[in-house]
Amino acid sequence: MRRRRRSVDDSEFQDPLKNYETPAYNGDLDRSLMEGKIRDIKITPFTAVLPETTIQDALKEMCDSSIACLLIAREGKLLGIFSVRDVLHRVVENYDRIMNDPISDVMTPNPTAVYRTDSPAKALNLMADSGFRHLPILNVDEKVVGILGPRRVTSYLRDFLPD
Amino acid sequence: MSELELRYVITVHRDESVRHCIQQMRSYGLGCVVVVDKKNILEGKFTERLLIPLLLSGKSLDEPVAKHMSTDWGAVSTEDPIVKVIEQMESKKLRFVIVVNSKGQPVGLTGQKGVAEYIAEHFPRRVKVQESQATKIFLDHREGA
Repeated sequence: MRRRRRSVDDSEFQDPLKNYETPAYNGDLDRSLMEGKIRDIKITPFTAVLPETTIQDALKEMCDSSIACLLIAREGKLLGIFSVRDVLHRVVENYDRIMNDPISDVMTPNPTAVYRTDSPAKALNLMADSGFRHLPILNVDEKVVGILGPRRVTSYLRDFLPD
Repeated sequence: MSELELRYVITVHRDESVRHCIQQMRSYGLGCVVVVDKKNILEGKFTERLLIPLLLSGKSLDEPVAKHMSTDWGAVSTEDPIVKVIEQMESKKLRFVIVVNSKGQPVGLTGQKGVAEYIAEHFPRRVKVQESQATKIFLDHREGA
């Protein structure tokens, strides 16, 4: 017995992308903000210490490595962040008293981080609007792979800025 | 530069103490003070980053800032393009750039954060609409569909 061929009703299928319009970018900078990836930016080398590291040793590490920001991590898992701003606000006037205390006492715990696949626009949003100067970068396994500072972001976007 | 929102510049004289500079930076929420002479001309800068070698050396915070200031600063004129700020930051690895008038007197401060804010302001559809951390926490914990 032959089956009757089912008539195709055009109204059954609706292309979900029918009304999709490709994003219109207002220049290369606009495009790079959205289509670029944090992994495309030359990231700052990062130094991580354990939370029980003393404040004095943490400062030595920052001084020796010429870095403004230190990550606190254990086995790749990000636990906190400590920057020169924390030295100004939490350490400098009490240094003699707290120099042998653990860095975990003065770090910022559970810092905001970005993923390698996030856009530069996301990083800029966190830096410009939320005021985070350094953003730890995580991979898909939530392990720290780098740190992003505003200079790297602006250097990356510099090529797209008008002279 | 006229499109860049400048930050207040804290000026101190060379014989002021480091402790005074720290108090100024903390009260204004800035990481840099500019050291000027009696004619308000730039002599140096002292940043929060310079606190680390100072603390490790064991020297007193009551020493004059002139002993610990940096004489390597970046300066741009109010007439310069914003790209020049980025060039100064890149070439000298600076976080702050001092904006000076035609007499060489500091009139403001800008730097990495200022440029980031400038780009964010000019591309609000790209930058401002990004999911904030607060939104992420909400989404992570929301219930239902």
